[in-house]
Amino acid sequence: MVKRLRDLPEVEARHLSLDRVVCPTYDDTPLLAGPPLAGRRVAIISTAGLHKRGDRPFQPGDGSYRVIPAETPAADLVMSHISVNFDRTGFQQDHNVVFPIDRLRELAAAGGVGSMASVHYSFMGAFPPDAAEPHARHLAGLLKSDKVDAALLVPV
Amino acid sequence: MREHTEVVRPPRALWVTFELGRPLGVPDDPAFQGRVLRAALAMLERTDGPLIVDYPEEAPGELDLSGWACPIALAPRPEDTLLAEIGRLATWYDRAVARRGRTTVGMSGLSVAAAGALVTEALAGDLPAAQPLKLAIDDLRAFYLEAASAFPDPGTSRTRRAWFWDETTFAKALLALQPKLAASGDRQHQILANLTLIPATERHRLS
Repeated sequence: MVKRLRDLPEVEARHLSLDRVVCPTYDDTPLLAGPPLAGRRVAIISTAGLHKRGDRPFQPGDGSYRVIPAETPAADLVMSHISVNFDRTGFQQDHNVVFPIDRLRELAAAGGVGSMASVHYSFMGAFPPDAAEPHARHLAGLLKSDKVDAALLVPV
Repeated sequence: MREHTEVVRPPRALWVTFELGRPLGVPDDPAFQGRVLRAALAMLERTDGPLIVDYPEEAPGELDLSGWACPIALAPRPEDTLLAEIGRLATWYDRAVARRGRTTVGMSGLSVAAAGALVTEALAGDLPAAQPLKLAIDDLRAFYLEAASAFPDPGTSRTRRAWFWDETTFAKALLALQPKLAASGDRQHQILANLTLIPATERHRLS
């Protein structure tokens, strides 16, 4: 879920330009077939800097993630993303506009996907990719242990 | 960002045109959100990537309320203080929390009055450590915007953000705090001043 730089106000576009934000490049793109959607177990991985109230807030340069169990009440979700350059009023109004946990639960109940992971995760997007890599590798193991075979990455 | 996605080349990406911060498009619209979610997950059936799929639906625009005036008299008065302004907003914040059953205030562990006191002290005296100050500021920002959503005529999220920057003592405090943080010898204060205090779209207000 991505937008174009040219759609943004000029100052925001400059702030996020590829001259300032270094994106990693890869020699190839791992892309695998899998079971039909109706048999998949799906986890949400947000980069909105979400966590449970009382968990460690995110800090500048923080590449780690926070754990959000599926049963976490919406009232326990807070956002400590360090950036001030995106809208938060949508999240204040309805957490699903950032973290679509209720929509995924409904989709699983309707058979559109097989099931929902027992645990979901959030990073804080404004991190250098190198800072996140060891955490991401660890997270991949956790997803496997929860038998997750589909990850929905939701940036802000 | 589409341009960033084209560089990184993830296996599958859904391109949406929604406002940054609203990846599922529309708050309190489960049907809209469900369509976005299903479009994203449907890409898992494809193996011809890396691919970027254009999502065909745009988020309905908010009503144009240019000329909207905040119905609550909150414009700062010369004698006003941040703590007095916070006190005047508390009723509206309570109404917002009662209506939604939740709040996004609460990262700092401080009451909003204590958060306001920390900002006031930062302006008047020594700067506290950057991280607790940032969390207190983010809590207050959420408190103000949640309170404004419960005004009798709440306007739109866009007009409420304009209200925040045009009219509140708190926004003026942030603008006054920025140069002090920027001049600090502490690297974390400088990051707060230059990156995570004032949105890029509002930095023109810094004199």
